[in-house]
Amino acid sequence: MERYARNASCIAEKETEYLHSRHVAIVGLGGLGGYAAELLARVGVGRITGIDDDRVEVTNLNRQLLANEATLGMLKVMAAEQRIMAVNPDVVFRPLNVRLDAENAEELLAGSDLVLDCSDGIPTRLVLEAATERLGIPLVHGAIAGWYGQVGVCFPGDKLLSKYYAGFDGAGAEAAFGNPSFTPAAVAALQTAEAVKVLLQREGILRGRLLYLDLLQHQYDVLDMGENQAREEKS
Amino acid sequence: MQLNDRPYLHWRQGMSIQDVIDERNFIYPKLVVKLNGKLIRKEDYAATLVAEEDDLKIHHLLAGG
Repeated sequence: MERYARNASCIAEKETEYLHSRHVAIVGLGGLGGYAAELLARVGVGRITGIDDDRVEVTNLNRQLLANEATLGMLKVMAAEQRIMAVNPDVVFRPLNVRLDAENAEELLAGSDLVLDCSDGIPTRLVLEAATERLGIPLVHGAIAGWYGQVGVCFPGDKLLSKYYAGFDGAGAEAAFGNPSFTPAAVAALQTAEAVKVLLQREGILRGRLLYLDLLQHQYDVLDMGENQAREEKS
Repeated sequence: MQLNDRPYLHWRQGMSIQDVIDERNFIYPKLVVKLNGKLIRKEDYAATLVAEEDDLKIHHLLAGG
């Protein structure tokens, strides 16, 4: 437990032991997922499943933690395994080199206690919401574009992402704004904090809400999607 | 009227959310709009008027990872 000594005060020893018994799946090991994998391993989540079918490319080097000169061309799931083993060999990492879709989502995510949505594009995120709802697993969502990011927590039945993305498909603003190094790091850190809070049943979870960050203008806003649902049901 | 926590200097009587979006010329078309804390659907942008004391938030729709 010495490696977790600095968790203390923030996370009790019993809670750290509990985290070590938990299993978190990360969907997407790019900008968000690479940082999230590292942070989950360091905080002491015992089992991590990483799902991604990409390889590390030169264009990932500007922002993705798993991308470096030595991992270029490597499967992202293998780069994640290498990194996690170097950080915390107590973690059991399951690399799944596959693209998550509507057909395989439930099978890939079954057995997880929580899922981190670090995927790309609207369709995969909606597939994830539906699959985690059927499996009864909480989903911690993160998305980024340029200086902007957002984080939210979706429990089964909340339909957070269905409401947020209603009427839209394809990509979001990331196609126009790009992705610098600091935004995925900031958002993945917030996602990991929310994941730990959900697993430990702490208060203050962003359930049914989206925290929107504008790192350029320092505007931080919370979109309450539950409030919207209540309004729609009333009308 | 406040737009994203700053005074919107071009507010005028009868202005709709769509007018604000057009004037601000957002470079990416997918937006999430909140008026006084309530989310506004895309199809209601043109019919929803913004009063002088209103608080309007317009965010970009994000989906990158």
